[in-house]
Amino acid sequence: MSTPDERDGVVTRDAVPAWRRPELGLALTVLGLGVFVIVGTAGVTAAASTLGLGPRFFPLLVGSAMILIGVCYVLDVLRGGHGDPEESEDVDAAAPADWRGVGLVSVIFLLFAGLLDLLGWVVAAALLFFGLALALGARERLRAAAVAVVLSVATYLAFVKGLGVTLPAGLLDGVI
Amino acid sequence: MDSLTLLLDGFATALTPVNLLYALLGVTLGTLVGVLPGIGPAMTVALLLPITFNVPPASAFIMFAGIYYGGMYGGSTTSILLNTPGESSSMITALEGNKMARRGRAAQALATAAIGSFVAGTIATALLVVAAPLVVDFAISFGPEDYFALAILAFTAVSSVLSRSVVRGLASLGLGLVIGLVGIDQQTGQARLTLGVPQLLDGIDVVIVAVGLFALGEALYVASRLRHAPPEVVPVGRAWMGRPDWARSWRPWLRGTALGFPFGALPGGGAEIPTFLSYAVEKRLAKGPAKEEYGKGAIEGVAGPEAANNASAAGTLVPLLTLGLPTSATAAIMLAAFQQYGLQPGPQLFDHNPALVWGMVASLFIGNTMLLVLNLPLAPVWARVLRVPRPYLYAGIVLFAALGVYALNNSWVDLVVLYLLGLLGFAMRRFGLPVAPAVIGLILGPMAEIQLRRALAIGAGDVSTLVASPVAAVLLALAALALLTPLLRRLFAR
Repeated sequence: MSTPDERDGVVTRDAVPAWRRPELGLALTVLGLGVFVIVGTAGVTAAASTLGLGPRFFPLLVGSAMILIGVCYVLDVLRGGHGDPEESEDVDAAAPADWRGVGLVSVIFLLFAGLLDLLGWVVAAALLFFGLALALGARERLRAAAVAVVLSVATYLAFVKGLGVTLPAGLLDGVI
Repeated sequence: MDSLTLLLDGFATALTPVNLLYALLGVTLGTLVGVLPGIGPAMTVALLLPITFNVPPASAFIMFAGIYYGGMYGGSTTSILLNTPGESSSMITALEGNKMARRGRAAQALATAAIGSFVAGTIATALLVVAAPLVVDFAISFGPEDYFALAILAFTAVSSVLSRSVVRGLASLGLGLVIGLVGIDQQTGQARLTLGVPQLLDGIDVVIVAVGLFALGEALYVASRLRHAPPEVVPVGRAWMGRPDWARSWRPWLRGTALGFPFGALPGGGAEIPTFLSYAVEKRLAKGPAKEEYGKGAIEGVAGPEAANNASAAGTLVPLLTLGLPTSATAAIMLAAFQQYGLQPGPQLFDHNPALVWGMVASLFIGNTMLLVLNLPLAPVWARVLRVPRPYLYAGIVLFAALGVYALNNSWVDLVVLYLLGLLGFAMRRFGLPVAPAVIGLILGPMAEIQLRRALAIGAGDVSTLVASPVAAVLLALAALALLTPLLRRLFAR
């Protein structure tokens, strides 16, 4: 519940010129998405649009609204407006962004996504947990590895055998 | 049949041993996951959704009711025992609660939160029983233009009331609406915005969006700014409170309930405003020792807001069940859960599926009682959960997020989509865009489109049909008001 007005008192805070602030990227993404929606649905034709409005009508509304919002958002950022980064128990809002951490988490997750079908849930999920725990600062590797194996085996057994959810067996097909 | 008979039937459904077990499982899991730092009620529900995939609907919703209340309850434990507050609805609880805990009154703070949640939850659920049939009777005659107006009101209210900056709230809403457009148009079968990816033809599942924005987004955000000092958890024994604490708590509980329920039921009301109001009311009414204690850990400042928080959770269920209208991110995910089973909440659900609806309502009463029994003695266990090392915690969150999303369609494409949405959630957190409008836009967008097209088809394309019914006209006027209020406030403030 901070003050609702973020226009005042901001000018002094940022030494970075407005057009180089990273939030501008998000504002431009919003604007770009608006254009994308309109252009992307331009080819959608409704042969059977006898029932009133076709499938382009609502996207056109959403796209136009997004462009309008995007323009306002860009202007707001350029004039020095900013949102408050979300607060959370484990987040130090004042700390500089640790891009190495974000990059590591991203790489590990995408590798997991790509290898899951091949390796199977037990192996891939254990590697995912182990990798992420280390990337997020776990020190004791052996313990992290043990937790990873226990967790991946336990989830596999609970969800596949217990709840009937399908997960890939992969390398351990027939073993587990 | 009157609602009391139906409710008794609901109890008959909910009190079978199997369903009691599901309720217990839901309550326990909900509290356990809700206690974990960094996980709010919305993420709790989203992460636990996959567990119910293969459970029959009635039991699944009984479990969900437990998860919903349990997740709400878990959040307050976190904010009392940990210094830094998590989700905004229990932020207020942390103000006095954590100070109480630091003064050695953690047991009393947890007890007033638990008992207050029980009292508020029970009264508010009773109010839900009374209010729901009335709203259903009123809403049974709603036409498509009325539903469209309702959706628009929910959109504007959630974007402007809940966020500190209207433009950021609307941007978040727009992101949700765009994601909701992806896939085949339900009326004409035309593919929209799929970029030629066949897996996107069915649209992007709400579970993926919710888990991506909440869970993966949070994990990436934490990775970027992990607090390296270990968190300070206040040690606690069994939660209990003495006679003076009871004397000081019961009025704030009732006042908190009275504030929480109506706000929860309103679009854009949510839990933030009533908890804040309750805190302010109790502060003003405080006399004697309570007045001196305020700001240093007064029990009234925990009792009132906690009651308001839980009452608003029950209030949220009124528009959700009777109109299919989610007013918070958590409710939006609950709506997604209904849709997983091919059920559309609304007046018809009460007609076609009374056993399911009333079974769920009955299990809210049961879950509330279970929570009380569970949470008073288990407080030390939850305190231990708070000490989970953070690297393991967030690695575990991502693992469960991946599990839930992969289990939907067994497709790695969904995992890549999950990652992209996680990046979006990360950016939204970093730049202070609220996540709730995006989730509500995503889930209500397609409904708004269908109702709009239906209304205009009936009116032969005449736009004035959208305001032809008085209900729709009033709702749209309220929507415009919600959008303009912050602007007017800014003008007058100068």
